[in-house]
Amino acid sequence: MNPWSLLRGLGVFIALVAAHFSLRPLIGGPVPIDFLCLAVLFAAVRVRPGVAAIIGFLAGIGMDSLALQGFGSSALAFTIVAFGASWLKAVFFADNLGLTALFVFLGKWAFDVVYVLVSGGVPDGQVLVQVLLWSPLAAALTALVGVTLLVLARPVFGTRRAAHRRR
Amino acid sequence: MSSRNARGSNSSRLDTGLLLACCVLSVIALVLPDRMGEPIATTIRRTVLSPLLTVQGQAQTVRAAITARDDDLTLRGAAAAQASAAPELAAENDALRRMLGLAGRLRDGFVVAEAFHPAGLTDDFTITISAGSAVGVNAFTPVVTADGLVGMVESSDRTRSIAITWAHPDFGVSAMSADESAFGIVKPHLVSGPERYLLELRGVPFRASLDSGTLVVTSGLGATYPRGISVGTVISEIPTTERWARTYLLKPSVLPGTLSAVVLLLPSRVAAGVSQVWTDVSSADSAARAIVAASDSAARLAALAELAARRAAMQAASDSAKADSMIAPLGSAPTVRPPSVVPPIRPRPDTPPPRTVPPGVPQ
Repeated sequence: MNPWSLLRGLGVFIALVAAHFSLRPLIGGPVPIDFLCLAVLFAAVRVRPGVAAIIGFLAGIGMDSLALQGFGSSALAFTIVAFGASWLKAVFFADNLGLTALFVFLGKWAFDVVYVLVSGGVPDGQVLVQVLLWSPLAAALTALVGVTLLVLARPVFGTRRAAHRRR
Repeated sequence: MSSRNARGSNSSRLDTGLLLACCVLSVIALVLPDRMGEPIATTIRRTVLSPLLTVQGQAQTVRAAITARDDDLTLRGAAAAQASAAPELAAENDALRRMLGLAGRLRDGFVVAEAFHPAGLTDDFTITISAGSAVGVNAFTPVVTADGLVGMVESSDRTRSIAITWAHPDFGVSAMSADESAFGIVKPHLVSGPERYLLELRGVPFRASLDSGTLVVTSGLGATYPRGISVGTVISEIPTTERWARTYLLKPSVLPGTLSAVVLLLPSRVAAGVSQVWTDVSSADSAARAIVAASDSAARLAALAELAARRAAMQAASDSAKADSMIAPLGSAPTVRPPSVVPPIRPRPDTPPPRTVPPGVPQ
């Protein structure tokens, strides 16, 4: 990874994390957009799986520090999702927007499922509703926003094909 | 080649090792007791996340301001809607109060129902009533309010009825003055303009002269309307070509536009009669309204507003009549029956104190 690509990826990561703390509270609504998940996924596909796991762990532990219970659950969920995303990037993170949307959708949904099951913060009677209704909705919205961001900021994100060409 | 494979294998082991390390750390964080996990979380919040949390706090403040603004606008809208509905509620309360008084006087043989104006479906002179044949309401059932006669049911199904009001061209009722000195037929005043909402008392014998303000009630001749329902008060005499009979312009007792609840007189009540229900209680109603008006500012305001509206309508009618009289010498086409200059509005006998009662009006 060249320095320019590293800088670009870092900028995107910081921008998405900032959006998570600034735009998300402004937008509100019952189905929130998870900009932090987008940041972790977009960063994970650009680095090695081990580094992706560390990024996921750090992002997750940061989120855990804001929660009242389940300290470590976000870290575990983001670690698994980021490692998986990085490992599967050759398969999924192509230039195809549909596949990218599916990738983000599955990543966010997987995070939510792991988080809900591990943290125990959701009442027993609402676990299924959360996992099968609200989480897919939030994942779909996050995927939509992620694809939109990719389209709008394609020069900043770059493409794998362009990266291959540079190599 | 073998060195590249070995490097790849090492990298893969490193990745797996990092994954395991992160997972183990996460699990340790999960199983940590709160007293040990909380200091770590606090440290992260106060250092790394501090600027982000500041931004988040500001964003939440902005959103709270937007939400509060929305709530404020919603509240203002609701308050404005309530303020605009207040006069209507006061008028409806007044009508219901009077309806209760009427129900007490009639005692039995009637049905109370709601009246609707089905906008766009029929003309302005037809109303829909929320009672039908299921409760004994059939065609020709008289429709009244505490103020007087509204009209009659023309058709009814099981739960609803359609009634014509006194302004309908087909409406007609045999009527008489309250002192029974003059009889005639009351029909709608079929002219254009505001006077369309007045009535005519036709065919009054020439020898019977009625003063302005005289109360006209149903005579009971015919099978539809019982004797004694208030129809209207005399405004003035209308000059006609008939030399053997007089025609009077009447101000109706009931304004159909303000109807909300009505009473339907069932055949048993029609047969038993309603005499003295409207004629004898006018003064009692007037006293009751005076008490209400004195204590209820909303009712007083509504009464004054109604009086002003009626005066304006009558003034408009008077101006129209004057204009007609100026046009007539120039050869313009006369109206069907041009009224004479309409005198100033006379109060109804059952109205609150602001209206002065003329001496000739029966109470």
